[in-house]
Amino acid sequence: MKFLAKRVRTTEFSLTVLFVVGFVALAVTSGGVLLSGQSIRSFLTYLAIPILIGLAQMVVLAVGQLNLAVGAMGGAAAAVMAQMMVVWDAPIWVALLSGFLVATLMGAVNGLLVVTTGLNGFIITLGTLTILEGVQFALVRSFTIDGYPAAVKAFGKIEYLNIPSVFMAAVVTAVVLAWFFRTNVVARKILATGANPLAARLSGVSNPLSVFLAHTLSGALIGIAAIVTITSLGGINRSIGGDWLLSSFAAPIIAGVLMSGGVVAVYGTVMAAGVIRLVDIARAQYSLDPSVVNFTIGTVVLSTVALSEWRRRRSEIRRQKYVEVDSE
Amino acid sequence: MSEILKVSGLSKSFPGVKALSNVNISLRGGEVQALLGENGAGKSTLIKLLTGVYQTQEGGIFLDGELVSFGSPLEATKAGIGVVHQERNLIPYFTVAENIVLQDQPKRYGLIDVAKRRARAQEALDSLGLAIDPDEIVQNLSVAQMQLVEIAKALATDTRVLLLDEPTASISGSEATKLFRVVAALKAQGTAVLFVSHKLEEVFEVCDTVTVLRDGESVIESSPLSGYSQSEIVAAMVGRTLADRVKRIRTVQPGEPVLELKNVDTAIGHKGISLSVRAGEVLGLYGLVGAGRSELMRSVLGLHAIVSGEILLRGKPVKIRDVRDALHKHRIGYVTENRKEEGLFLEFSINRNIAVTVWRRLQGLLGIVREHKETEVSERFVDRLGIRISSVTQLAGNLSGGNQQKVSLAKWLAADTEIIIIDEPTVGIDVRTKANFHELIMDLADQGMAVVLISSDLAEMVSIADRIMVMRDYQFVGELANSKEYSDVSTGVMEAIQSGSRWSS
Repeated sequence: MKFLAKRVRTTEFSLTVLFVVGFVALAVTSGGVLLSGQSIRSFLTYLAIPILIGLAQMVVLAVGQLNLAVGAMGGAAAAVMAQMMVVWDAPIWVALLSGFLVATLMGAVNGLLVVTTGLNGFIITLGTLTILEGVQFALVRSFTIDGYPAAVKAFGKIEYLNIPSVFMAAVVTAVVLAWFFRTNVVARKILATGANPLAARLSGVSNPLSVFLAHTLSGALIGIAAIVTITSLGGINRSIGGDWLLSSFAAPIIAGVLMSGGVVAVYGTVMAAGVIRLVDIARAQYSLDPSVVNFTIGTVVLSTVALSEWRRRRSEIRRQKYVEVDSE
Repeated sequence: MSEILKVSGLSKSFPGVKALSNVNISLRGGEVQALLGENGAGKSTLIKLLTGVYQTQEGGIFLDGELVSFGSPLEATKAGIGVVHQERNLIPYFTVAENIVLQDQPKRYGLIDVAKRRARAQEALDSLGLAIDPDEIVQNLSVAQMQLVEIAKALATDTRVLLLDEPTASISGSEATKLFRVVAALKAQGTAVLFVSHKLEEVFEVCDTVTVLRDGESVIESSPLSGYSQSEIVAAMVGRTLADRVKRIRTVQPGEPVLELKNVDTAIGHKGISLSVRAGEVLGLYGLVGAGRSELMRSVLGLHAIVSGEILLRGKPVKIRDVRDALHKHRIGYVTENRKEEGLFLEFSINRNIAVTVWRRLQGLLGIVREHKETEVSERFVDRLGIRISSVTQLAGNLSGGNQQKVSLAKWLAADTEIIIIDEPTVGIDVRTKANFHELIMDLADQGMAVVLISSDLAEMVSIADRIMVMRDYQFVGELANSKEYSDVSTGVMEAIQSGSRWSS
């Protein structure tokens, strides 16, 4: 019972309830349309990207950094893949693998720059953001590149029981990432660096290595997001990735990931991305103004941050009381 | 002159620790009083009570005979208590004048009156005889000048009592002389000054009276300084804290040194340092705060650069690049004095806090660390050190100070270190846990570890160490075998400190 009560109080649980209630409400008010195969498919297809970029942001937040170049890295990687297939006739797997590696490399470069210059990740990724937007534009100009092999687009259309392949890819990525953070020694060091860099250093953890690896991992996740993009969309143009930044922050922060580092919440980030997606659906369903979506997401972000701060203070007070009893 | 500040029966408790107990102070106008005490004696708690950062629980603070109680630092300032903190509290990009009147900007028609601001700042600077341009940007000043500007700032708001918290900690001798001139000027103007410092010679130069805190109590209360010698003051500061301690005589097996320093100079100012520790030995590094003991050991760990001399481990010269190197390659552990800031991950479980040093050893295929392996390791050390907790999954932040310190020690034992450096192990820990901790450290040595103990608590030093090296001004000034007879050893230590003094007569 106590175990259950502990689960119920978590952010993950609240988000799950919120998601289920929201989904049911939308399904009922739409007269069941949301439950049709077509609706489910499109709902899940467009959920894959928010999940992946949310996780990409989460892993840098874990070391107390941030990555402003999430969208620019994804856009540039997608442009590279499209360019390779269309202009250079590269085999599909070579192009997709290259896109993934390019994104990972960009993450590694971010990490390396942060570590070697000692500058804040904000400044470094602001710089790479601008550079990569330029690269993306140089590759696609103002065209939409859609002449890549049909097999690529066909992959995005694959589904099983109305669950699209790209969504499965996102879920598998999330599961692997959750497992990594649960069990892996590298992940623990990353979290140690984020939680208390001074203590981490004095415990023999290399903070520069943690920061570098977190940025590299972020790049790899963005690489997967770029592959999902190219397979699920009809074409690649200069606007790809342009709207990723806000939602990449929104999902992990709603899930309770701290800006100061030391915490990850993979399941929470996935659920939060789902909730954000529901807001989008609601807008379409009720023909709401697009500004409503931004307003709602902004409000949710602020109130979850306020809520978690309130929780933190309350547990701080409880902690004080506990210590008093303990020292008797 | 009449009494301005009176502190009567002041006590303050924190969860698990009594920080101040029945402290009495009397301070008159035109008097400079030294407030002395070792780390953890309660000085900072007292300053925080006087400046409204903490609220009084028991006893009272009186200004001009009236009981006052400050809800916030601003209220204390308004009541006439000014403070210059150890760390700089100026805004670097503002001008001197802007900083001086920051708390009380002169306004006209709701806007800042620039001319008046400048005039008021100039007045404050003049009254101290300072030739500093009020329009200069603070960033361009020297550290000592900033200090003086802070005093001017503290005085700009009708200050009757000025608290100077280690004002000379970061400035040079000649700059300090200038500061003392300012203090003398304040004294002549009738301001009451409470002067906190670790440098005894300057205390004797500047102060009229003295209050010494030890273990939260005032052991000397506002007495004329002329009645004491330096060594009497030091004796009052370090005192004998564990009256009923058990004497445990240990014999150290002779053998080769495990850790040896030969003529080491560091980038932060140590000169010609040589020392050695054997397996099974507790080497105590004693000295007053600021003597350079922690800094020396942190240099050994590679946190500060070593510029000459050599470090030998188990007879072989080595280069230690960082803590990672020290831990994994050389089996050296370091229990920091700042357990909350540097020793623990407060938001992590006890499990992870202990296992952090052994993840490398616990990892299996693909770097996987199984939680039950972590639990196994941590439970073993929780038992061995007698850490009182309900489960190893509890957060480290939820433990009492003593238990936190044990967790901070446990991670190094888990890592199977052979040399362990323990820095101020019992600051802020209650007396009973202290004794328990002392036993623990001696047990470690009995099991064959080489222990370097840094402590400012002389009684603790006498209880635990086998050999004591005394440091002063980043140099060793004496070494003595510990007979564990408090009076003999303390005399020896005091003599060593005195002999190393530039001011000894």
